[in-house]
Amino acid sequence: MAEENKDVSMLDVRDASKDDGSPYEGTDSSLSHSLSQMNIDEGEELGSQRPQMARRKSTLIFNDDEDEIPPYSHHQEHSEESQTNSGDERETSIGTSSSSLNSDRREAGEADSGNGASPLVTVDHGESEGTTQAHGEGSGQDSMVPVDITWQQGGEKVYVTGSFTGWRKMIGLVPVPGHPDLLHVKLQLPVGTHRFRFIVDNELRFSDYLPTATDQMGNFVNYLEVIAPPSQEKPQTKDKQRDNENKNDVARRKTTDPVSARSRIALEIEKEPDEIGNGFTRFREELTLGPSLEYTQDIPAVFTDPTVMEQYYLTLDQQQNNHQNMAWLTPPQLPPHLENVPLNSYTNSQNDSNENNSGALPIPNHVVLNHLATSSIKHNTLCVASIVRYKRKYVTQILYAPLQ
Amino acid sequence: MSATPNEREKVIIEQKLAVESIRSFLKSKTSYDVLPVSYRLIVLDTSLLVKKSLNVLLQNNIVSAPLWDAKTSRFAGLLTSSDFINVIQYYFSNPDKFELVDKLQLDGLKDIERAIGVEPLDTASIHPSRPLYEACIRMMDATSRRIPLIDQDEETHREIVVSVLTQYRILTFVALNCRETHFLKRPIGELNIITKKNVASCQMTTPVIDVIQLLSQGNVASIPIVDNEGYLVNVYEAVDVLGLIKGGIYNDLSLSVGEALMRRSDDFEGVYTCTERDKLSTIMDNIRKSRVHRFFVTDDAGKVVGVLTLSDILRYILLGEN
Repeated sequence: MAEENKDVSMLDVRDASKDDGSPYEGTDSSLSHSLSQMNIDEGEELGSQRPQMARRKSTLIFNDDEDEIPPYSHHQEHSEESQTNSGDERETSIGTSSSSLNSDRREAGEADSGNGASPLVTVDHGESEGTTQAHGEGSGQDSMVPVDITWQQGGEKVYVTGSFTGWRKMIGLVPVPGHPDLLHVKLQLPVGTHRFRFIVDNELRFSDYLPTATDQMGNFVNYLEVIAPPSQEKPQTKDKQRDNENKNDVARRKTTDPVSARSRIALEIEKEPDEIGNGFTRFREELTLGPSLEYTQDIPAVFTDPTVMEQYYLTLDQQQNNHQNMAWLTPPQLPPHLENVPLNSYTNSQNDSNENNSGALPIPNHVVLNHLATSSIKHNTLCVASIVRYKRKYVTQILYAPLQ
Repeated sequence: MSATPNEREKVIIEQKLAVESIRSFLKSKTSYDVLPVSYRLIVLDTSLLVKKSLNVLLQNNIVSAPLWDAKTSRFAGLLTSSDFINVIQYYFSNPDKFELVDKLQLDGLKDIERAIGVEPLDTASIHPSRPLYEACIRMMDATSRRIPLIDQDEETHREIVVSVLTQYRILTFVALNCRETHFLKRPIGELNIITKKNVASCQMTTPVIDVIQLLSQGNVASIPIVDNEGYLVNVYEAVDVLGLIKGGIYNDLSLSVGEALMRRSDDFEGVYTCTERDKLSTIMDNIRKSRVHRFFVTDDAGKVVGVLTLSDILRYILLGEN
């Protein structure tokens, strides 16, 4: 159980992009920072900023499993919940029960060994509360997608823990009024793939109603792919029809509550179809609330007017604090995301393969899907690889063939 | 440790309930459910040379791979260590056929099978959306240690190889994720799951080719190596033949099995033993922690009395306690 096995899966893609000191990394993040703030405040008038929005999202996809992501605790209280019941009281109850759980979970062996190196420690509440509030009021919320996590398989005390809390903190679920067996919590999660499990009356469990997978350590977990809010392109009628379908299915899934007054206008409930193939409809999942955006035929001025472009890049350079400030002048050899394909970060050491007998790989960035990669031809053998979706999972197929 | 009849009764009931619970878990999950969110799958083209395919397996640290026939765009079975064993046996009885063996392609393996008169391996496969339980049963019926998951492309209706499930993967999955395994406290001697009859064994001085023949005849994955008195000293596994013929050299077949073992890589897990008093919970613990594929059952003196293979364990979990 070496440390390097600790959950390399979803981290190293991101790490790699940091490490290789790619000049575009810096550019992208500063860009996204400044623009994400603008996006919030000018909710509806996003037309001209679309290209930048897209860039921001692609950098965020790598966020999926970052342990240190703070805004996990930005729970939305259910609207019927009284204010007094929220926050402090629940945090305390989590604290106590998690310490009592401690021994129990250790005894459960490697049940949680996806992060075996990090024992279950209750995070300092003061600090996390602080972050929570900062995020509630701040504008960072734009990058977060509200996700409702529900539990319907019984139990008194139900918590969820997962990659979004670094597996350290447990977030309590609250009953849904009117649905006796349903508990839920609304989380603000960054775009990406999140893995989690439930702790139901001190027992580690997974939901039968959410997608499941085996992680690199072989643990069976629930997972959920949070995708960036889509633009409002779907015909209205279709949405209405879907909404109706949803209502018929309340027992399985709760409709997402509007997040705030502003979001209520801007966000739209978007549902994924039930079917995962071959008549299997085991789980339903809700994703994606998005601000209303439109496509436009007009090329933004920054691409057409040299003076605007110059001004734009000058601003960028100033924000860089003169680090790599001429980086944008040199075009990249490859689109930066293609330099971080999962295959290159797959370590084939003996040590790794001992634990990793299912060949688990890091979650690929969507933009690398359906590309054909090849290795140099050795010994007259050609090796090509392609990452494709298989239902809701990703298969990296590697084919060895002789050179004819 | 003497247990009162009451305690014994309780252990028996607990074990029965635990097995049933694991079984219903396997029935409730599909093969697709247990795939990682992202994983790799290495596929070999059937026109690849056998000796090259061996290098690919060794490079990627795997012992088997699905084959793909590019001419028909179809899945063409699995390449496993038994294919290499067949080739070794063929070459041993036809030493003049070096040219043929050297230029043998993966699609020629069927001819080798026919030439040496072994039964072609069952090419059972299953759809990923079928329950794990069904996949296990089908694998067991085919007396195979692995089963490919095959789906159809929605548009082209061509076969897609999704992944390959192995007994080992399923049992580690159960060991890791079913807490019920802690309640499997009956001694394995009671369960009638140990293979005791016809356990072939060899000695360190036995020629490796004879051991390979034993592997092939018994359709087993390992042969225990014992000393003169019958004490267990080592094991020769079917996967060890991959290292033996590394680089396409089939000239080392005159080695003794002891010499052949020198080629084994340093990360060999070791030989696992147990006694008939051990419990399945302990066995599952070991499966969870180590890359173990069988346990040799020894008596108190250390002599081999039988073997508990992954198939034995899986069969018990699938069908036992009825």
